[in-house]
Amino acid sequence: MPVLPVLHEVVPEGGLRPGSVTVVEGSPALALALTAGLEERWCAVVGLPEAHIPAAASMGGDPMRVLLVDDPGRRWADVVAALTDGCALVLTRPPDRPAPQVVRRLTALARRNGCALVVTGPWEGANLRLRVEEGHWSGLGTGTGHLRGRRALVVSSGRGAAGPGRRVWLWLPAPDGTVAPAAEIPEAIPETPSRAPVAVAG
Amino acid sequence: MIPPRALVVWCPDWPVTAIGLDAATPAAVVSGAQVEACSAAARASGVRRGQRVRDAQRHCPELVVRDRDTDAEGRLFESVAAAVSGVTPWVEVVRPGICAIPVRGAARYHGGGTTGAGDEESLRVHVQDTVVEQGFDCGAGIADGLFAAELAARAGEGGVVVPPGGTPAFLAPYPVSVLGRPELTGLLSRLGIRTLGAFAALPVRDVTARFGVDEIRAHRLARGLYPRPPAPRPPLADLSVSTEFDPPAVAAEQVVFAAKSLAERLHEALAAEALTCVRVGVEVTGADGRTLTRLWRHDGALSALAVAERVRWQLSSWETQGEDGQEGGVVLLRLLPDQLVADDGRQEALWGEATVSDQIARAAARVQAMLGHQAITRPFPAGGRGPGERVVRVPFGDLPPEPAAEGPWPGRVPDPPPAVVHPEPLPATVTDADGSPVLVDARCAVSAPPHEVEIAGRRHLVTAWAGPWPARERWWDPARAHRRARFQVVTGDDRAHLLVFEGGHWHVEAGYA
Repeated sequence: MPVLPVLHEVVPEGGLRPGSVTVVEGSPALALALTAGLEERWCAVVGLPEAHIPAAASMGGDPMRVLLVDDPGRRWADVVAALTDGCALVLTRPPDRPAPQVVRRLTALARRNGCALVVTGPWEGANLRLRVEEGHWSGLGTGTGHLRGRRALVVSSGRGAAGPGRRVWLWLPAPDGTVAPAAEIPEAIPETPSRAPVAVAG
Repeated sequence: MIPPRALVVWCPDWPVTAIGLDAATPAAVVSGAQVEACSAAARASGVRRGQRVRDAQRHCPELVVRDRDTDAEGRLFESVAAAVSGVTPWVEVVRPGICAIPVRGAARYHGGGTTGAGDEESLRVHVQDTVVEQGFDCGAGIADGLFAAELAARAGEGGVVVPPGGTPAFLAPYPVSVLGRPELTGLLSRLGIRTLGAFAALPVRDVTARFGVDEIRAHRLARGLYPRPPAPRPPLADLSVSTEFDPPAVAAEQVVFAAKSLAERLHEALAAEALTCVRVGVEVTGADGRTLTRLWRHDGALSALAVAERVRWQLSSWETQGEDGQEGGVVLLRLLPDQLVADDGRQEALWGEATVSDQIARAAARVQAMLGHQAITRPFPAGGRGPGERVVRVPFGDLPPEPAAEGPWPGRVPDPPPAVVHPEPLPATVTDADGSPVLVDARCAVSAPPHEVEIAGRRHLVTAWAGPWPARERWWDPARAHRRARFQVVTGDDRAHLLVFEGGHWHVEAGYA
């Protein structure tokens, strides 16, 4: 499954393999960014009623090819299993830590049906783990401006080809809502709240 | 061909009646900025159909203005149609506010026996009284054909009877605008033809040579000819089909097999009426008295096998729902067509909208079988100031809403959109440097810069903030009115939040994590 080109740095092989499980920690925006590069394929979002699809759409995703199941309840595993048949990617948060046999069944089904799983939550044996280690928002002053973007340090770790510790600075999101490569922030940024507000246009 | 005699019942100002206002209240029903209908009292003060609302209000300052409610019009008119069907069962509802019955037979039955003008007059009065007894003001008129009968219903005090063959003479003095074709009216009046009589006097050959099909139809109307007789239609039969299982069916296969033949029967019954249904309801009753009903999208696109497959999915969801699903088995299976519409074929989208592949439809239908029709949705863009209002979730298979108004939405929170919008806003507290709560007054002035935010019991220092973006929405509707101010804040853990201040309380509406 293709991902946005800017994510190639942290997602090995230029995409997510069918049947692979990617765990995204702590950043819903990063999870949505993974759904944005699917081009003509469908994706499903299961058990994440708070996911804001317009954010994925502004990153390049097609909101018309999204299925949402906000509350799968006790039938979470059955819903994900049904949606792997047809969707190229299922973004989901398990209601609790899934049992090993459920994990095995879902990954086997996903591999057979050509679907990648992206999980925001506990999961044993993920192929790839992505997280945002550091983020710096810009555009906001003290009572002035508005949020324009965030420079985020995305770090990946995983098994096999994924290897340990790739990292990349990204605009997540950029001022126009997309995901874009960002220059590394110099170390000299003071940690205190007295940080000078970034100049705001408009 | 002279059309058959028809009786038309016309309820004046039906859109106004339907929203529960009487003729004595000066009221207008509007759509957009134009008056669609007005009450008699409003008309007396100069309000007219097609007027702009502000002009109408200038003529009649105490005017009650309401939005048009076409659903209510149809619903309420059902009681008029039911009352008229007590006179004769062959009632045709032309549109809410107007219905028609064929006169032949009914006049003989309700009159004295010999056919004559007296019979028709007594039928007319009888029908009118029947409707007035229901509490609705109405006019009733009889003429050759629906068009003339409708004008006859509006003529005189509560309608007239136009004698047989007298229709052309009755129509002649009416202006051409009653044909309801504004373009043709404009053209004819430029030609100096102002009445139906003058229009009818034009030779058919010339009209046919000069005008199109629709104008030829109008010409036939003006001459008192009407190609379409009122379509007599018996009260709509119950088209639902059901089958009982005695002894109760324990195996799902048995029910599914019965469902297939049941669906075939349903489709035949619908096809015989030239109808199709938008949705089909499947009702399964168990031996223990439990009933499970689900609505499935149909749109005339499902084969009998596909309906049976949905019954199977529904049964499978039942079995896993209760621990004793197999106990007792199924005693009754019913298929109910919902939202009947005329069957006029189907046209796939040519381009533009992403078509849903069979594979996706199947996966979605399986989820619907497990959790119900509402459980799986598709997001569609909508208009609004808050991020949560910019998307609506429509159950899979339902029609998308009207395209969003591309309004400027002043006070909208600027892009980029947040990644997370909480379905229920999280309560929060915002305090200033002294530890006292930050407030926003009616003029959108902030009492002090926010210093600390507490969300879900955890406190964060505010490193940057902006706002307020005020939004005062739907002040005309007390139930849905909102008056709030939005703030963006960045907290010490480098997360950004969208906070809302409303009614003295702070909430987290969305997050940018």
